[in-house]
Amino acid sequence: MSLHESALLLIGSAKRPCSTSESLGDYLIQRLGERGYATRKLLIYRSLASEEGHRELLAATDLADILILAFPLYVDSLPSLVIQTLESLAKHRLAGGPLRPQRLVAIVNCGFPEAHHNDTALSICRRFAKEAGYEWCGGLALGGGEAINGQPLSKMWPLARNVIKSLDQAAESLTLGGAIPQGAVKLMAEPLVPHWMYTWLGERRWWQRAKKHGVQHELNARPYQPS
Amino acid sequence: MRAVILNGSREGEDSLHSAQQIIVAELTRRRWAVEVFLLREMEIHHCVGDFACWVQTPGVCLIDDAARDVARAVIQSDLTIFLTPITFGGYSSELKKTLDRIICLVSPHFMKIEGEVHHEPRYGRYPHMMAVGLLPQADEESEGIFRTLVRRNALNLHVPAHVAGVLLQGEGREAVQEKVTALLAAVESVQ
Repeated sequence: MSLHESALLLIGSAKRPCSTSESLGDYLIQRLGERGYATRKLLIYRSLASEEGHRELLAATDLADILILAFPLYVDSLPSLVIQTLESLAKHRLAGGPLRPQRLVAIVNCGFPEAHHNDTALSICRRFAKEAGYEWCGGLALGGGEAINGQPLSKMWPLARNVIKSLDQAAESLTLGGAIPQGAVKLMAEPLVPHWMYTWLGERRWWQRAKKHGVQHELNARPYQPS
Repeated sequence: MRAVILNGSREGEDSLHSAQQIIVAELTRRRWAVEVFLLREMEIHHCVGDFACWVQTPGVCLIDDAARDVARAVIQSDLTIFLTPITFGGYSSELKKTLDRIICLVSPHFMKIEGEVHHEPRYGRYPHMMAVGLLPQADEESEGIFRTLVRRNALNLHVPAHVAGVLLQGEGREAVQEKVTALLAAVESVQ
């Protein structure tokens, strides 16, 4: 990389105070920062809450050499706020955005244990890159993202060891001007825990969360059932 | 029979309006009751990903806006029709905003379908799905992503049968009519 290259992380999750998307994205830009990149992070839901924030987001993307999208999978695709951002960004670039080469990377995580649920969302990101004039550097897909639950990855060893290795490899390759290596893609797709354990723990978690609201016996309610 | 149309055209995009008119006329001719939602004109907030519709008010989104009306109409219909400009291969943000808000129609519980983990159905029956996307010109990659997305949605939303079609900007009324009629015939054949 040349001096003063920059990486912009856009977080596509609206979860507060922290999200798995943010855990993954933070780790990657920290590694890029250690390699000399100037890094910045923006939360899409916050940026799009005002005209000023929206303009600031577009201006920040103009300055970034690498744009990193980190988001959760919503209904087999990107959350609507992220799609809205990409629509706006594509329009901005086609109307005369920067002409220098810029790269795009995506990190997506889903609540199902299998990482391949994210494939369609990554195809949409790849297609966005093509239409908006970014160099597509590949994507990383994580299954069972709820297991990380917004915790910093540095505190998730050994559970997140493959995730960490994957992001380390991605940072190294991106710094050298390359795309995300296949090895990193495979490591990220490795299950964090066995599928049976993930679904068992997931069911328990739904029940516990529902119990807090006193509705643990109503999880299968049908409020819109025709009378 | 009841059909619900979710029109995801964005501000200033009226190309799907004529397709919508043709679909409504064709369905009416076949004696369907049709309800149309022009999503961009409705007050619908983005999903905040809190899963409250599963663990706090099961089956109903905590945000009290027009997405609740859409969710009710969809689950009580026999056919849900998506109309959308194909956006990077997927749905427009307007249509996606509504789809993100109707996950209350499935249950948080997990189940396996064809070896993959999905969420269990919440209701005993779900509507069929027909998705119609609009492209500025023929584009194999975008169309492929769109068809895959519709198929994956159908799986996750427990749709008994689904069809997807692509219209091209500037296509004549007759061509659109022909495509729409073929899609509706395919849906009706599995009713």
